[in-house]
Amino acid sequence: MGAPTIFSITEDEIDLNDLLAQITLTSTGAAAIFTGMVRGETKRGDAHETEYLEYEAYVPMAEAKMKQVADEIRAKWDVIEGIAIVQRIGKLYPKTPTVLIACTAAHRDTGVFEAARYGIDRLKEIVPIWKKEITPDGQNWVEGDYTPKAGE
Amino acid sequence: MNRIKLLFFATIRDRAGTKSMELDVPEDLTVQGLKDKIATDFPNLKDSMKSVLITINREYAFDEAVIPQDAEMAMFPPVSGG
Repeated sequence: MGAPTIFSITEDEIDLNDLLAQITLTSTGAAAIFTGMVRGETKRGDAHETEYLEYEAYVPMAEAKMKQVADEIRAKWDVIEGIAIVQRIGKLYPKTPTVLIACTAAHRDTGVFEAARYGIDRLKEIVPIWKKEITPDGQNWVEGDYTPKAGE
Repeated sequence: MNRIKLLFFATIRDRAGTKSMELDVPEDLTVQGLKDKIATDFPNLKDSMKSVLITINREYAFDEAVIPQDAEMAMFPPVSGG
């Protein structure tokens, strides 16, 4: 059986324990997990409050690009065993987890932390997902600043 | 003519007022040609065409690319997932 790779866009709650169980093998002894959640109060930069975020995705392309991110992780860190990449979409309120990237490996000093970090950074660059921020003062689409290059 | 499906997301969808449309375009039209056509036909989208990302059959595509038959295309702003 090949190493488990999970990638999905979902409207359901992200189940960390279930995802972690799916990428845990008898050979793995370490997992690095990044999860992001809706921040209700932003202090850095333009300080403001957020009532909720509304996410949308170009689902079939987003899932294909998540698979590509997993392939890139494996090309860079061949010790990575399981990978889970999940983005929740829809209307999400402060403190709600929105995204999860988890990688498993035999040991913690294998690059597993860096692999998870790479996963969330790449998701924010090339996976077609957008969020609209609703604040007490109105709403606006959050736009990224990365332009994909040929082959990405 | 070549019939394509064009999807819009996020700001581009709001400005277009629709999620998708079907278009008949010339056989040898490029991505740049499509951007020019959209800017002319949909004045609301003219400013968006400067920084828009474009995909052909779910892969990023660039100005010189020729649009293939029956392509599924999309236009959207830089992504902001996470």
